Amino acid sequence: MTEPVSILDGATFVVSSRNGDIDPSPSFPTGLFALDTRFIARWELTINGERLHSLSVDDLRYFQTSFFLAPGEPTHYIDAKASVIRQRTVGGGFEERLTVLNHEEEAVDFTVRMEIGSDFADLFEIKNLLPKRGVITTRVQHDTLRLSYRRDAFYRETLISASHEAEIDEQGMTFRIRIEPHGKWTTVLRVVTLFPSADESAAAELPTSERGRGRPDVQRRLDEWMARAPHLACDCEPLNDSYERSITDLAALRYTGLLRKEKLPAAGLPWFMTLFGRDSILTCLQTLPFIPEIAPSTLRTLADLQGTRLDNLRDEEPGKILHEIRYGESAAFEEQPHSPYYGAADSTPLFVILLDEYERWSGDTALVRELADEARLALSWIDSYGDLVGNGYIWYERRNTRNGLENQCWKDSWDAICFRDGSLPSFPRATCEIQGYAYDAKIRGARMARKFWDDPQLADRLEQEAADLKMRFNRDFWVEDGEYYALALDGAGRQVDGLASNMGHLLWSGIVDEDKAPMVARHLLGPAMFSGWGVRTLAEGNGRYNPLGYHVGTVWPFDNSIIAAGLAKYGFTEESARIAESIIDAAKYFQGRLPEAFAGYDRDLTTYPVQYPTACSPQAWSAGAPLLLLRTMLGLEPQEDGLTVRPAVPASLGRIELLGIPGRWGRIDAFGRGRLRTAAQPSADEERPDGAA
Amino acid sequence: MGEVTTSFFHGLGERAPDLLPKRAHGTLRFDLRNGTETEHWFVAMHHGNISVSPDRRDADCVVHVDGELFDRFTTGQANVISAMIRTECVLDGDIPLLMMFRRFFPAAPGAVDPRRMVRERDTR
Repeated sequence: MTEPVSILDGATFVVSSRNGDIDPSPSFPTGLFALDTRFIARWELTINGERLHSLSVDDLRYFQTSFFLAPGEPTHYIDAKASVIRQRTVGGGFEERLTVLNHEEEAVDFTVRMEIGSDFADLFEIKNLLPKRGVITTRVQHDTLRLSYRRDAFYRETLISASHEAEIDEQGMTFRIRIEPHGKWTTVLRVVTLFPSADESAAAELPTSERGRGRPDVQRRLDEWMARAPHLACDCEPLNDSYERSITDLAALRYTGLLRKEKLPAAGLPWFMTLFGRDSILTCLQTLPFIPEIAPSTLRTLADLQGTRLDNLRDEEPGKILHEIRYGESAAFEEQPHSPYYGAADSTPLFVILLDEYERWSGDTALVRELADEARLALSWIDSYGDLVGNGYIWYERRNTRNGLENQCWKDSWDAICFRDGSLPSFPRATCEIQGYAYDAKIRGARMARKFWDDPQLADRLEQEAADLKMRFNRDFWVEDGEYYALALDGAGRQVDGLASNMGHLLWSGIVDEDKAPMVARHLLGPAMFSGWGVRTLAEGNGRYNPLGYHVGTVWPFDNSIIAAGLAKYGFTEESARIAESIIDAAKYFQGRLPEAFAGYDRDLTTYPVQYPTACSPQAWSAGAPLLLLRTMLGLEPQEDGLTVRPAVPASLGRIELLGIPGRWGRIDAFGRGRLRTAAQPSADEERPDGAA
Repeated sequence: MGEVTTSFFHGLGERAPDLLPKRAHGTLRFDLRNGTETEHWFVAMHHGNISVSPDRRDADCVVHVDGELFDRFTTGQANVISAMIRTECVLDGDIPLLMMFRRFFPAAPGAVDPRRMVRERDTR
């Protein structure tokens, strides 16, 4: 099977086959999508009735692709009398510059035909196409083909027109052309996605791209974005490549939803092109030293959409930060709960953490004051609605049993939270990393209360609660006979003793007792958890371990970036560097673009990292991973009066220079020289087979 | 004019200090369609306080919605964001103002406090 080609700009993206055609495919979402709706499902080019085959594909930019094609089936001999170039650019729909080249020594007549159609499928229907409840209408109007969908007031429309005169019918467009010897013919097909504006009689272009602006503008904005990010100079090519790739992908993943005009980081292509509380917050946390500008808009939007009331469908409570928002038909008619859905127990403390961390880097005290009410409400959610049992931990259990999430932590697949023997715990569940986030949120909330909110009482109380939480947590979650933290507590208060990567996040949060940290580090880098490419989500030897299990054995670059930061925080610089080195090494096999996850096979077994079959790519927090790893290796830490740099760079990466790191200090450069010998690259050093510190 | 809606607007002043974040600052106008007539409510939010009048005045955000649907927002039976996605509630202007105003809409009838759900089951 050939890889599909994807291009995107904000919430608009096109997925097609290698020849540029779009053919509705049941298992993978091909088509033109905007805000969770498919606007084009069929887009098939023929020349004289023949389909075309791909000679090459050039992904020039994230918003632009060129397909070089020849008519007919691929053969051993390329003896084309004609060839075709399709250059496609995304933005508020897409534009396709279609060029036909005549390679003959005489003039030739061609019939060029584009089959066009839409099913206006909701992204949630793609895997299981449902009969539409609304009505699809197709109309030919002057020089435009109009495909529209209406269900009550819900309305979406696709307009297709061409710069060259065409015969338009309800299934597409035909061009009858004559091309001179060695000549060429070009037309530009324009597809516009429409959405009703405040004035219901008029349709306005979707707010996914700046209206009326052309390609040079997208390029200019990308150039400016790249120029604002710090410049990386280093000896290690894979690190350089993945840094560039990440910054570009994070530009591509910025999107504008319907509820705010500012750009936000969407979670990933193709399934997650929307705002997720957890993903967006963690992406902002990973990228603060590089592209801090995405944090304020994320914080403001999440504050605007903070939970206001109890709601069973949406698993909503006052003060809770959302999990996911969607703008498609299924969200509109409440067939899915995403308007927004609040089924995440971690996004609320993470919101507080991001607000504080953003201030530490930027010095933007105004935002901390502006969002004080929302942050306080989030802090009180932790101790009220978040504590389902009433024993001082954050728990989750869905009320929406139809299509709410069973697991409301980052590992949100149904079997992710499990006992060592593979059995599944009862509800409610309190996963360990969420308690770490709660601890961190209280510490940070105390800092903000004291410094910016003029509320020393709240600060004292939060600090006291944090100390108490840390004490109880280290008692209740510590698995004595295994010397690690339980993955969760279950409804009966039992330790869910699966050995999982979640405890790496605990280091990042600082909730781990100093005397327990070495044991945690030893587990994380031990052979059951560390594959050689990174730390597995679940350790080998657990009942549900599967190297291809989404949250029960695969390696997630984002997870590893948090774990590496946590290890470094507790002084395990070699272990941290070893993870950084292996993830960056893995990026090499994906042209610098780390996927959502790759298989947990031992490095010795596969020699290259195997991508998880349906992994999202690009994905925001995977793109953020190399950035957090860089911050960790350089030991960047914001202070009142500047930035401290304490590099611990693996020798294999050589010299790293990061120039122009933005923050409250203006811009600062940081340098690190690779001196650290890790166990992964022992060369002269002694082998450490168990990976222990 | 819907009675539910009228008493909802009259009650806002008292509820605002507990519900509105202090950054809420700006004006909203609700244009509620009731058949051929349109009812107007003008709301000014200023740093956590609110003033309300049944006036047709220029506002930072104008909300067009059917009066009957708005009644259902005020009783918690309908959700304002899904109505926006359905295009049954259409906005003109500063969307975050309505997002903050959402805090006045009550819980859905039958909505369960998750703590109660868990604790009552566990004591049974």
